[in-house]
Amino acid sequence: MTKAYSRFLTVFFCLFLGGLLTVHIFLPDREKSETENRTLAKLPEFSWETLKDGTYTEAIETYFADQFPLRDGWTGLKARAEQLLGKREFNDIYLAGDTLISKVETPDGTLLENNLSYIDRLKDKADANVTVGFIPSAAEVWKDKLPTGAQSWDQTGLLGMSNVDFHTALKEHADEQIFYRTDHHWTSLGAFYGANAMLEQLGREPLKEEDFTIEIASTDFNGTLYSQSGIHWLTPDTMEYWVTEDGMTVTSWSTGKPETVPMYDRSYLQAKDKYSSFLGGNQPLCVIKNEKLPAEAGKLLLVRDSYSDALAPFLAQRFAEVHLLDLRYYRAPASAYAMQNGIEEIAVVYSVQNFISDRNLVLLG
Amino acid sequence: MIFSSLTFLFAYLPLTLAIYFLAPVRWRNLVLLLVSLFFYGWGEPVYITIMFVSILIDYTHGLLVEKYRDNDKKARYFVAQSVVFNLLLLGFFKYIDFFAENLFLLTGIDLPMSATLLGITIPLRNIPLPIGISFFTFQTMSYTIDVYRKDAPVQRDIINFGAFVTMFPQLIAGPIVKYKTVAEELNERTHSSENFALGARRFCVGLAKKVLLANSIGALWETQLAAQQAGTMSVLGGWMGLLAFGFQIYFDFSGYSDMAIGLGWIFGFHFNENFDYPYMARSVSEFWRRWHMSLTSWFREYLYIPLGGNRGGTFKALRNILIVWFCTGFWHGASWNFILWGLYFALWLILEKYVLRGVLEKSPAVVKHIYTLVVVFVGWGLFAIEDLSICGGYFASCFGGASIWSAVDGYLLRSYAVTFVVLIVASTTLGKRCWQRLPERAERILSPILMALALVICTAYLVDGSYNPFLYFRF
Repeated sequence: MTKAYSRFLTVFFCLFLGGLLTVHIFLPDREKSETENRTLAKLPEFSWETLKDGTYTEAIETYFADQFPLRDGWTGLKARAEQLLGKREFNDIYLAGDTLISKVETPDGTLLENNLSYIDRLKDKADANVTVGFIPSAAEVWKDKLPTGAQSWDQTGLLGMSNVDFHTALKEHADEQIFYRTDHHWTSLGAFYGANAMLEQLGREPLKEEDFTIEIASTDFNGTLYSQSGIHWLTPDTMEYWVTEDGMTVTSWSTGKPETVPMYDRSYLQAKDKYSSFLGGNQPLCVIKNEKLPAEAGKLLLVRDSYSDALAPFLAQRFAEVHLLDLRYYRAPASAYAMQNGIEEIAVVYSVQNFISDRNLVLLG
Repeated sequence: MIFSSLTFLFAYLPLTLAIYFLAPVRWRNLVLLLVSLFFYGWGEPVYITIMFVSILIDYTHGLLVEKYRDNDKKARYFVAQSVVFNLLLLGFFKYIDFFAENLFLLTGIDLPMSATLLGITIPLRNIPLPIGISFFTFQTMSYTIDVYRKDAPVQRDIINFGAFVTMFPQLIAGPIVKYKTVAEELNERTHSSENFALGARRFCVGLAKKVLLANSIGALWETQLAAQQAGTMSVLGGWMGLLAFGFQIYFDFSGYSDMAIGLGWIFGFHFNENFDYPYMARSVSEFWRRWHMSLTSWFREYLYIPLGGNRGGTFKALRNILIVWFCTGFWHGASWNFILWGLYFALWLILEKYVLRGVLEKSPAVVKHIYTLVVVFVGWGLFAIEDLSICGGYFASCFGGASIWSAVDGYLLRSYAVTFVVLIVASTTLGKRCWQRLPERAERILSPILMALALVICTAYLVDGSYNPFLYFRF
């Protein structure tokens, strides 16, 4: 090794390490990552207390990684490298052709048992009729698409306990775009089939596809699976609105107090998290009123996760009022809410993946 | 702090290099001492005190041994005192829970959770293990012994000595650097761009081994272990798991050593090599001459030979082998499985020495390789699973107590096929031999390209927050 050449290697090595450090320092910190759809860590405040117990240095490491320059580029590069090595699984997401499918881990048995028992308690406590609906995840409905031998928890046992047969309804249309390819939610089409399965169970007239005028809301939707997997090279999803907004009044408690909001918050269409445009995303309580229906059409309380954001507008075609309660944010028993609002029909509708991992269901009854 | 982290690579290392090389040569040991203390304190702020105590005690003992050079009895006494101190340090932090548990099981005596001595309450149980304690206590022990044996001169400068004790490149995961190896370089060493360039290149090799190879295959081991717990692991899956762990620990550990040796070169130090293609070995004893060489040579020099080695008859030789391998196993962790793992190798070494030697010599090379690899990889099962009942269950599955094959294994095999091929090739000297045959020009072009590739891809894996364990927290 000549002197000049070793100097070159030395400088090259130092420039790589020091260069990224310099960029890191001068790059302004980001509040949140659009791609990953989460808030990023901020520079932690120093205190002797946190230094001593090690949390300070840990927080610095998290901050350093979260604010690392070109973060999205690096995660994308890793996914590419993994693909080159023949991997089909990217941070617990399977790549099946042009579709991303989230792997469902075997649930914690006690948690699942408890969650099921909370439903029973709700049935005992509430005066209303309680219907349970478990929405299978893409890993179940699109099992055939998964790589051969790829593992995902068998959801059929739990789905057998569902009063609403979402599973069969979706399975019958498995060859259609019922889930997004880059997001874990069902599409409006999937939600439409789901709504009919539910209306059938509740003894209401089913909806007809031809009664809806479909609006293409976005052709540029990259969902949660896109973020989690690091696979950034698939064609984005198309998002549709089926139910039109006229005659629908939506009251949202996003901020803690009731506010009238549009059914589709189109501002989200400009952002990464486009699925939140349905009813404006996560919130404790939301009420959809269909002014075109008589009060006799009744009220439905939907204790739910985010899958119901796409589902509820369909249900509001047959119920005068649909109340959506999210127990992650609404911190009082659902049974009491039903009683106070004179609701006689309660539906507990959860996607399997959320139901087996949610720790807030104790608030059902 | 660990080498394979973004904070080390893109904050600590560049800043440390800048401060170190901007400082005048006579201050560089002080810089090294300070940045190393920072490095250690990053993960273990409170335990910096151990560093100070360790430096002070071993430094004074070195001086005392030197002072009583003419009074052998006294000199020996101080060597013993320093060894006892280091062993107590290790015993207190690493082994006290193990002893307490077994004492309770054997005699029913329960060691109290804490003891009050002269008004100070000292916790006795559940003390978090200071990272790297097994490495640095062994290094400092070598110092007084080397001074006593006149293998190295006494170190009168406490800064230089402190730099030796805390030196961050090998502080937390080895190699175990004997004092005599670096005695001269501590006082005077050359810094050159050649050293730096070679060191940086070596560092990149080690980083890639750790982040790209070890972490990647380690995930497979975790998958199989989880499958075993869930009762779904097959025979093939069990062996795949053992293979995965064997590759993980080799590339993780040797990767760390490469990074340490590379960093050493950058700062002008030359540590001994720690791994020499161990999976190429043709016998178990050869494996141990190629695996974690700094530990085996430490035990040979400071334990096996002083015990009498293989002189003094068969009984003594057998006894010595058993003692050394008991200690080697126990050094890896305060748990019975590590002791069994050590004794398992003692058994094979004794067998090779007294029974198998003739048979092995006549066997074709392929047989020798397969025999060695089977012994070693079965050993990894014992090493990797601390809970002996789980370990037993795992081996029961491996040896036919489960279905032969499952669809999941097919999936995993396809997912890791390329990785396995890379790992197997990287375990042989093939890459090295090809590299050495390259014309000078090709090497000059390829070096920076491969370094850049390693750095960029490792960064991608680290930013993504992939599986990145530190395997030596029990050491």
